[in-house]
Amino acid sequence: MEYRLRLAKRMLFNKKGSLIGAVLAVTIGILVIHVNFVIFQGLFDAIVRDISNYRNGDVLITDEEDYIDKSDQALVNWFERIPYVEAATPRLSSTASINMTKFGTLHEETRIPIVGVDPLRDIRASTVHETVSDGQYVFSRNSIVLGSNVARDLGGAQVGDSLKVKIVDRYGQDQIKRLVVTGIAKSPGGQGFDYSVVVHIDTLRDLMNRDGDTGSIMVKLNDPSKASDVKNFFLAAFPNDDFLAETIEESAEEQLAGFRSGIAMINMIGYFGMMSSAFAIVTIQMMLVNGKTREIGVMRSIGATRKDILIIFIFQGMIIGAIGAGVGTAAGLGYTFYAKETKMSFNNSLPLEVSYNWEKIIQTAVLSFILAIIASLYPSYRATKLLPVEAMRTV
Amino acid sequence: MSKIYGSDENKVKALDNISFSIEKGEFVLIVGSSGSGKSTLLNMIGLLDRPTNGKVFIDGTDTTNLTDDKISSFRNKKLGFIFQFSNLLTDLTVLENVLLPREIAKTNDSAEKNARELLTAVGLDDQINKRANKISGGQAQRVAIARGLINNPSIVLADEPTGNLDSVTSEKIIQLMKSMAKKLNQTFIVVTHDRQHFGDVDRVITIKDGKAFEGNLPSEMGVLA
Repeated sequence: MEYRLRLAKRMLFNKKGSLIGAVLAVTIGILVIHVNFVIFQGLFDAIVRDISNYRNGDVLITDEEDYIDKSDQALVNWFERIPYVEAATPRLSSTASINMTKFGTLHEETRIPIVGVDPLRDIRASTVHETVSDGQYVFSRNSIVLGSNVARDLGGAQVGDSLKVKIVDRYGQDQIKRLVVTGIAKSPGGQGFDYSVVVHIDTLRDLMNRDGDTGSIMVKLNDPSKASDVKNFFLAAFPNDDFLAETIEESAEEQLAGFRSGIAMINMIGYFGMMSSAFAIVTIQMMLVNGKTREIGVMRSIGATRKDILIIFIFQGMIIGAIGAGVGTAAGLGYTFYAKETKMSFNNSLPLEVSYNWEKIIQTAVLSFILAIIASLYPSYRATKLLPVEAMRTV
Repeated sequence: MSKIYGSDENKVKALDNISFSIEKGEFVLIVGSSGSGKSTLLNMIGLLDRPTNGKVFIDGTDTTNLTDDKISSFRNKKLGFIFQFSNLLTDLTVLENVLLPREIAKTNDSAEKNARELLTAVGLDDQINKRANKISGGQAQRVAIARGLINNPSIVLADEPTGNLDSVTSEKIIQLMKSMAKKLNQTFIVVTHDRQHFGDVDRVITIKDGKAFEGNLPSEMGVLA
């Protein structure tokens, strides 16, 4: 082994306290970034996942100005012929007033978001049906699924209760229909339809007087990375229909923009944490240099150049960086694994969507390694400035 | 050469117009009382410090204007050092300490063989793999002698090599240095305030108040010291 590397290693490993302190500083710096990533990126991805699963799919088709008047059946069939597409389903949305008499008391709620779904197609393209915690999903034209919060606001509506839904149709007329509650939906973190109600799409079309119209087509892919391809393919196939096709990133942009800025800020804090660990390395290495003043003098007197001394202490920085990056990455991966396996969530909120972002993991490890080397430059430089005759006096 | 520390009213003349030359193979003692300037002189010869005035020639090379890197290389190849406290690197083994000057010189040809031979010569062939902080003071000083000789230097400089040892061990170290000097035809310049222990040597230079006095008679020098 090269003598400078051997000396760097021995000097460092014979000062275990300093070594552990420096490695811990790097480890904590990396761990902070991993924990930040798991929590905040996991939360972001969980929101994207739920928006995709419950509302927008991987590709969302709407009309640029109004409702889609093309046959939803035809569009869904068109999509489902593409190999990347798992399923597609039409949706229609509006707002409704709902009233229900419970134990002799009339409860009325207004401006409730109401979503019309095609029950048979919806369960293939969306997971909203999985959020039905009591009863079952919409299955007939007179059934309604209440979000748990709506059910609560209606005085504790339950499966089997009957209620009245009032909608203002396209001509400004009130349309009222009595429906039977078939299910109550509740999702982790309230990202599902907890504040909405779900009915059969044809029921909503009748109420809105929009026979054959569709609000959106939600397309779920078996390979989400192909979303742009599917979108472009669709727009190329229907160039004259004023369709708007958006990937999940585009359709959810409004909801995610603020969150994305938050993540950038949190990441910034993580990198500041990493930089503070670099200062810890500077301090520890300065202590190491001060503790090795005599040795530096001896080495200089027997012929070591300033460059040799510089390299020895930079090697120390590299060793600290390498061990710290290794331990920190291992600890970070351990935390990520734990979060993923336990489907980590906070206060019964939505479970984090934890992923191994290898590019970021490697980037963080390499960055901390480089920072450790940069942090060792000043102490190494100070070591080279020691005059042999002065250093030798330190016994 | 001269060496002056401080300036103006705080000026201290540690060495005052000293001039002498030493031939190859000579065993030279530099003696003097504490603070006389003998260690300063050794630092100048060892290129660990620069004189205020004058020049140091080693093997015919004027060392005055050498760059820091060249001085390091010069120290490595032409000079061997033995210090009062042996100054071994405690993170290394005995063998690694002896090998270090050779590794710095990046001339590793048969380095380990030479190091082992030297350690055998100083009687430490059974200690080579011990950490340097696990051997006695006398053994450490022998390792320092081996380290000082590994690059076959022009001059070995020893600064109070027995200053930290008991009299029996001191005697052994002195005999070892003298025998190595004779065996290898090696120039030794030894700074000591303990003139008597060294017995017969080729030359003695006495430093007093920064000035050098030459003398050949050990008895006289004993009186001067």
